[in-house]
Amino acid sequence: MHHRRSFVMALAIVTVIALAVAGSHGQQAPSGEYKIGVLQPLTGPLAVQGKLHLEGYEIMRDLINSQFGGVMGKKLVFAVGDGPDPTAVASEATRLATREGVKIITGTFSSTLCGAASEAASRQNAIYWETSCVDPRFTRRNLKNVFRTEIDGTGFGWYNIEFIAKHLAHRLGKKPNELRIAYLSEDSSYGQSVTESARQRAKQEFGMQEVAPPEYYTFTTNDLTPIILKLKNTNPDILHHIARDQDAILFWRQAREQNFQVKAVVHAGATGYGTPGFGKAFGNDANGPFALLEPGPGLIIEKFRPEGQRVERAFREAVKAKTGSDVLTGGHQLAGGGLWILKLALDAAKTDDLDKFRAAVLSLDLPVGSGVNGWGVKFDEAGQNSNARVQHYMLQWQNGSLVTVWPEEFTTNRAKWIPLGPWDQRK
Amino acid sequence: MRTVAPAVVFFALAGLVPLVVRDAFLLDAVVLILIWGASAAAWNVAGGYAGQVSLGHSAFFGVGAYAAALLATRWQLSPWLGLVVGALVATTVGLVIGYLSNRLRGPYFVLATIAFSQVLLIVGSRWRGFTAGSEGIPVPFRPGFWTLGIADKRVWVWIILALAVVVYLVELYLERSRRGYQLAAVREDEDAALSLGVPARALKVAAIAVSAALTAMCGALWAQYVGFVDPFYVFSVDLSVRFALAAIIGGLGTALGPFLGSLLVTTLETYLRAQFGGIGAGFVGIYLIIYGVILILVVRFVPAGLTGWLAARGTRRAAAGG
Amino acid sequence: MPLAQLIASTLLLGGIYALIAVGLTLIFGVMRVVNFAHGEFLMLAMYVAFWSFSLLHADPYLTLIVSLPLFFAVGWLSYSVVMRPIIHTSHNVQVFTTVGLSIVLQNVALVLWTADARFLRTDYYAVALRFAGAVFNWAQLVAFAVAVLLTAALFAFMRWTYTGKVMRATAQDRQAAALMGIDTNRVYAITWAVGIACVGAAGVLLAPIYPVYPTAGLQFVLIAYVAVVLGGLGDMAGALIAALVVAAVEVIGSYVVGTAWKEVLYLLLFIGILVVRPAGLFGQRGAEAFGS
Repeated sequence: MHHRRSFVMALAIVTVIALAVAGSHGQQAPSGEYKIGVLQPLTGPLAVQGKLHLEGYEIMRDLINSQFGGVMGKKLVFAVGDGPDPTAVASEATRLATREGVKIITGTFSSTLCGAASEAASRQNAIYWETSCVDPRFTRRNLKNVFRTEIDGTGFGWYNIEFIAKHLAHRLGKKPNELRIAYLSEDSSYGQSVTESARQRAKQEFGMQEVAPPEYYTFTTNDLTPIILKLKNTNPDILHHIARDQDAILFWRQAREQNFQVKAVVHAGATGYGTPGFGKAFGNDANGPFALLEPGPGLIIEKFRPEGQRVERAFREAVKAKTGSDVLTGGHQLAGGGLWILKLALDAAKTDDLDKFRAAVLSLDLPVGSGVNGWGVKFDEAGQNSNARVQHYMLQWQNGSLVTVWPEEFTTNRAKWIPLGPWDQRK
Repeated sequence: MRTVAPAVVFFALAGLVPLVVRDAFLLDAVVLILIWGASAAAWNVAGGYAGQVSLGHSAFFGVGAYAAALLATRWQLSPWLGLVVGALVATTVGLVIGYLSNRLRGPYFVLATIAFSQVLLIVGSRWRGFTAGSEGIPVPFRPGFWTLGIADKRVWVWIILALAVVVYLVELYLERSRRGYQLAAVREDEDAALSLGVPARALKVAAIAVSAALTAMCGALWAQYVGFVDPFYVFSVDLSVRFALAAIIGGLGTALGPFLGSLLVTTLETYLRAQFGGIGAGFVGIYLIIYGVILILVVRFVPAGLTGWLAARGTRRAAAGG
Repeated sequence: MPLAQLIASTLLLGGIYALIAVGLTLIFGVMRVVNFAHGEFLMLAMYVAFWSFSLLHADPYLTLIVSLPLFFAVGWLSYSVVMRPIIHTSHNVQVFTTVGLSIVLQNVALVLWTADARFLRTDYYAVALRFAGAVFNWAQLVAFAVAVLLTAALFAFMRWTYTGKVMRATAQDRQAAALMGIDTNRVYAITWAVGIACVGAAGVLLAPIYPVYPTAGLQFVLIAYVAVVLGGLGDMAGALIAALVVAAVEVIGSYVVGTAWKEVLYLLLFIGILVVRPAGLFGQRGAEAFGS
């Protein structure tokens, strides 16, 4: 009897030890979990982009866990919150920080939400990691726990004018200060901030001629014909048009009807001319306009640094596996790019303690080409990733899809139809 | 519900919550219940007691929010002052709206109020020079009581509670005073009231003005609490619907009704969103479908609102119990 | 000023507003219900057209023929299930029922079809008639023609058929009509169903012109109400003319003052009408006080 009992005991002990050893052999894969909060507008008027951003986060998270050792050696998991408006997003940020116990909250894509979300996060002493909103005032509130990986609205305008002045001008055979530029924009926070910053740089740095004051409209407008008629009267060379989704489609159709001729149309961002929806709406008739975005097809990934190439390739494959498309959307790229930098920061800091985390973030110094989208990293004291490191690219609609055309050293494609020419001849 | 006992219980409980609860999310929920309740009660002054059902009250809320935000950012003045200024401006706007729409009844009045709030939305979102346009105004957080820079949500509960009680007392006044009875007469049958010499038109305008001032005060506190004023939100029809909804579900024309209604609606919304909202990129919008269905059902089966339903149960029980 | 084009745009835009306003003035006029879900039925019809086109390759004008009985049925069903139980209750209950319905429909569309803006691109989407120095988009021209026909048909229906007279009687005085032996419930059901059928047709006609997405109804609904009030409740021809007036304010205001302020212009117009003459241009004075 005694032998029996001690035999069973020994067996039990050996089993336990064996299991413990077996369990610990899973160290190559991240063990344990690290949870962060993810806030996006998943319902309401901003849902299209919110959903894309969330999808981008999910894809990058899965990639980080499967191929890059997780975050701080642990598996990255999300607690997701829906923030369709400022009250809801503040409430959800509080919930994520308290109920879900996250120390880091990321999101929220929209300029009208990031202010409220980051305030609520700050009250709970959580780190707020913004990956997309472009309100320039976001990083000017002296909040030590707030960071942004994407350039701000002034950066979009800056890059657009850079493209127009340094690339389009000479291809049109004009000096920048000879260019006649018209501004058209939807009137939300996004449109206003990008347009105004573009105007400022165009006028002050290059002396471009503004043919008329900017025209703002509500993106749910039913008719843009009067504006198109006014544009025809002023006869600009370049149309700087910041659009959301519906209005881009309406404008493009009505501009064609009215036979509005302009030499180039330039947009910025992952809405309107920057979404796949524009190509789906018009097919080949979408050809021509430019959109400032993250890098699309044609990108010469070899121009990135080795670590950048590795993660960029992996990310593109993962997006293709999830969505079936070769073309990443801006939403995916902003979210994925921002999350990647968060991983780098956490791995460097090895903790989410605010002071150490912040020190680690500020000490990151990676050149262009180091990460997803070819982004580098260099945060300033205000928590803003530097405009110069966050390389942006100009894409153009060719053959019914967006391809990368600028900066030319990063891509195999070249911008076509400069000037645009008649509507039926952009094949 | 003619006694104040239930209200005393409600407000006392709300006041006690911060002493017992530390969880910031729960406290946040209580703050929202009280703020939306106070806004709904302010709406009720015009909608329930005066019979002026408006879906444009976000106009006043937005005015209050902007007043607080602008005073704080442009002139570095205390948001408490913003509260007062907002109330004054909103009263003026309310007087204008009340006067212009005085002759309108029912659906016409509703549409007029919507139009007014949308005009303010456009002004707020285009007047870049003054209101920062569509980009909205981030409200600075300067720690301190006079700057209303308060991180501790427990204190916020008490601040909003104070405003809620003030609005409740105004409602109570309308229930118990002579002016209130006159207003009720106007609400029930304006022509009959006029024939009795009740100054119907002036009362209606006054009710809207008072309602406007109170709503603006809610807006000013909201702006300081959430920290960002976005014109497309603070002047939205959705927000106006929210105020009216809470009041109707709770019991139109009753003093505690709006607060009970807000309790139900806000809790439901917060709960549904926390449960279903974060489901991932696949099933967004489901919690709103549930919300909409519940709205239709509640409005159909409990039209007198929660207070009516509770009162009826009380009466039945009293009748049955003897 | 390119007057010809501005006039053309006014006609075409006005036609679209009229299409939506005609069904709305019927519902609002006869039932005195502010239907907040009217735009959502429009949006559903747009999706019906879009999916018929994408999946079945059905031309929208073919879908139009099917959509009239389809949306009549949708209207009848939604009336029986949602509206009938509350039709005799207070005005607030009715308003919030339609608000709830609007939320439900918008989010059902969101869940089923996502928020992406789709475009029904027919082969002829870019076809435009050029006439008298103006450009007329073909699909909008058809929409305008249908709007006029529909208005005329409804006008005739209301004027000269028995059901139409019954509906007008109910609109003027619900209680008196009931005393006359009119089954007001049936009248409301028909009114609602016809109104929804109209907005269903409108949606199908709009699909080749505007992008389709779950909140697409919102940008038309308020303008439709402006047209309805301006034209006088229940007045078909009034709605058509008022729709043209609103479109004119929008188009010309857009050109002269700037697009940023065009909404303010028609909102001020709306407020002006409500303050000065709520019965609208063509309604009876004081009509707004009746029937509520």
